[in-house]
Parts: sequence; C-alpha cells; structure tokens
Amino acid sequence: MKKIILWLFGLDEAALADPATLAGVIASFVMIAAVLVMFAVLLAKKRLRIHRWGNKVWQRTKLLIQSGFFILTNSFMVGWFKGTIYQGKLKFMCVPGMNCYSCPGAWGACPIGAMQAIFDEFDAKKSWFDPVSGTYVQAPLYWIAFYVIGILMIIGALCGRLVCGLLCPFGWVQDLIYKIPVKKLKLPREPRLIEKTKNPRATRFLLGLDKYARLLKYAFLIVMAVFLPLMVKANPWFCKYICPSGMLLGGIPLMSMNAGLAAAAGKLTLQKILILAFIVILSLFIYRPFCRYICPLGAIYSFFNKFSLYKYGIDDSKCNRCKGCSACANSCPMGVDPVKDPNSPECIRCGTCNAKCPQKAIHAGFRTKTPEGSAIRTRKSK
Amino acid sequence: MKTESKLMRYLVPSVLILIGAGFIVYGATDGEAAAVIKKAIAICMECIGLG
Repeated sequence: MKKIILWLFGLDEAALADPATLAGVIASFVMIAAVLVMFAVLLAKKRLRIHRWGNKVWQRTKLLIQSGFFILTNSFMVGWFKGTIYQGKLKFMCVPGMNCYSCPGAWGACPIGAMQAIFDEFDAKKSWFDPVSGTYVQAPLYWIAFYVIGILMIIGALCGRLVCGLLCPFGWVQDLIYKIPVKKLKLPREPRLIEKTKNPRATRFLLGLDKYARLLKYAFLIVMAVFLPLMVKANPWFCKYICPSGMLLGGIPLMSMNAGLAAAAGKLTLQKILILAFIVILSLFIYRPFCRYICPLGAIYSFFNKFSLYKYGIDDSKCNRCKGCSACANSCPMGVDPVKDPNSPECIRCGTCNAKCPQKAIHAGFRTKTPEGSAIRTRKSK
Repeated sequence: MKTESKLMRYLVPSVLILIGAGFIVYGATDGEAAAVIKKAIAICMECIGLG
C-alpha cells in the first residue's frame, strides 16, 4: 500500500519524513475523498437532471461540479504546501481543461501545453538552412501530435464543449468573476429587442464585432499553438506569450511560495500578468471572454459539438418559439440560440438554456427520443 | 423536422473514439507520451511567465 502511495505521489520514502510532505499526502486523500462523496450525493439526489430543479439550483450544482473537478485535478497538496509541482507518473495523462501543468496541485498535463511540448521535439538527424535567419533549422520530430489529438478526440467525441462548461478550471474562474455584481455587457439577439436598445446601430456593430472576434480563437490555435511551436523551436508559444491560465494557476502560486522563482520575474512576467488582469477585468462585464475569443482548446472542442455522443436537442413538439418565446436564447450567456442550432460550436453546454426553458423542450444527453417518445432534434432548424 | 438517425447519432462519435484510441496508442509507442511527461514534470518557466 505504502509503495503504491509513494508511486502515485512520485515521492521516495525519505520524503515522507518531512511533516509538510506527509500532511500534503494526507490532505490530498481527504480532498479527493470529500469531492467523490460530494459527486455521489449529487448523483443520488439526481441533481444532474437540470429540468427538475430549475435554474437557481442548477447554477449552484454547476458551481459544485466545477469546484469539485478543479479540486480533483489539482489536489496534489504537497505542491501547494511546499511550492513545488507533481513529478509522478500520472503526469503523462492530459486533463480535459485548460489546466497548467506547472500548477502546484496539478496531477495531469494541459493538452495545449502537451501538444506544444510534442511539437517542440526536434529530429536530431535532420536540419535545413534558413536563408532569412542565416541559421540551421532543426526539423520537427513529430509533425502531428497523435497522442494529444487522440485524447482530445475521445473527450470531444464523448461530450464536446461540455468540458468548457463544467470541467475547465479557467472557465470556472471566469464564472466566479462574472458573479461579481456589476453591470454586465449582455447584447440582445432578437431583432425586436435590438431595436428597443438605446442605440440599435451600436448594438448591431457590437454583435458583428463579437461574431467575428470569436474566430480569433481558431487563429490562436493554428498560429500560436500549432504553427509557431512546430516551425520555430524552443518555445511553447501560446503558453509563453498568451496563456493567462498558466500565470494564474502556475505562475502566481509558485512565485508567491518560492523566492527563487519570484526573483527571476521580469518583462515576460509583467506581460503575462497584464494579460491575466485584462481577462479578469473583461470577465466582470462579459461572460467568459477567454473561452469566446482566445482559448485554442475550446476551438478544438468546438469541432466536436456536432459529432459528440452527449448532445443538446430540441423537442419541437413542446417548443414555444413559434409563439414568441425566446427564454433559451435570451438566457444563453454565450449568446447562442439553442432552438436555431442546439449544438452550435459556440455552445459550452453550461445548461442554462435547459434550466430556463419553461416548456422543458431542451434535452441534454445521449438519447434520440424524449422519455415520452417525441423525437429530439439535434440539428439546425430550417 | 430534421432528426438524426440512430445510426448516425452513435456511429460517428464511436468511430471518432476508436480513431482517437488508435492515435493515443500510436503516439504513446512513438515516444510522444514520454515527451509530454518530460515537459510536464519540470516547472515550465515559459508557462509561468519567467521565460
């Protein structure tokens, strides 16, 4: 048993003699057990049946799931106590969300960081001369990160962007910030509501801006997370120059606990702190700005929304859209209209529309028919 | 109303899962998992803003 624990925690026997390490090991077990009990209670109470409980309870349940998953994946308490990171064997696995592997508590690797780490490996036998820089460029050892793409394909095919809605730690942080009561920038989607705003022209402009800015995350994926790490070596470009999650979950905790690391802070640290601060401030007014405009992981999962096993669907026999109801579209924090496209690439499957629908016409899950036998439409409406 | 057939509803994700599993096995045996763990067990200075 002791050997298994030591293997699991990546520690040797002598390390347990240190009281902080021992306390960290015990605390990890306690936290994981507490979260598992919490999930068991949620399942026993059938709290995942969104319809049954309404939006208020669902938002609380959602927060519990997000917090629980954050604790599960970041409960290496030795790291939190000692200002180090987990170095055990489990770290070859990728977690589903944007979770920096340099977070003191992280048990697994961030998929975007892992992908860049694979692209960063070079083939020692091959190199070519680059006339622009005047140097020899080393050829990538792996042109496709099969391992990480395989993991993302499985997670995406199972649940798509449900990961963003419920399992991503940085999404959870943005959700918490958005709960701070300040005036939110929420744009109406319906033409009649747009016309009712103070300045319909400005609203339409912002809606257009939002629509096109969402494409930026695909650019970040292609350029910063794939092209530059493949072609210009020695840098995980997205992690180094953009990722605010790494700064929040890894940089700030490690630097606050480790004087040596804090002393090494410089221009890049300031740049990343400014990006993080910008995202935090934006999150006060806009729901999940990082997920909307920047996240390359969300961009990857968005391709799977239409092909995943877990899907959203509409029971058109119950839906009241034809009678002027737009409760789902008006409540969606990501600005998606679930009736038009229940599995839009922008939908993070947070369950708000599902909980708000007065007709209980929105279904989330693996079925093709409702329990009453009506067909569930998972495709776009005509 | 456009509805998906049961076959398409479950076939496509199942195929994707199988391909994904194949990719993981191929990548892991080709040394990609080793590259991931090599990077992940050391503090990533770039990720935490230290260059």
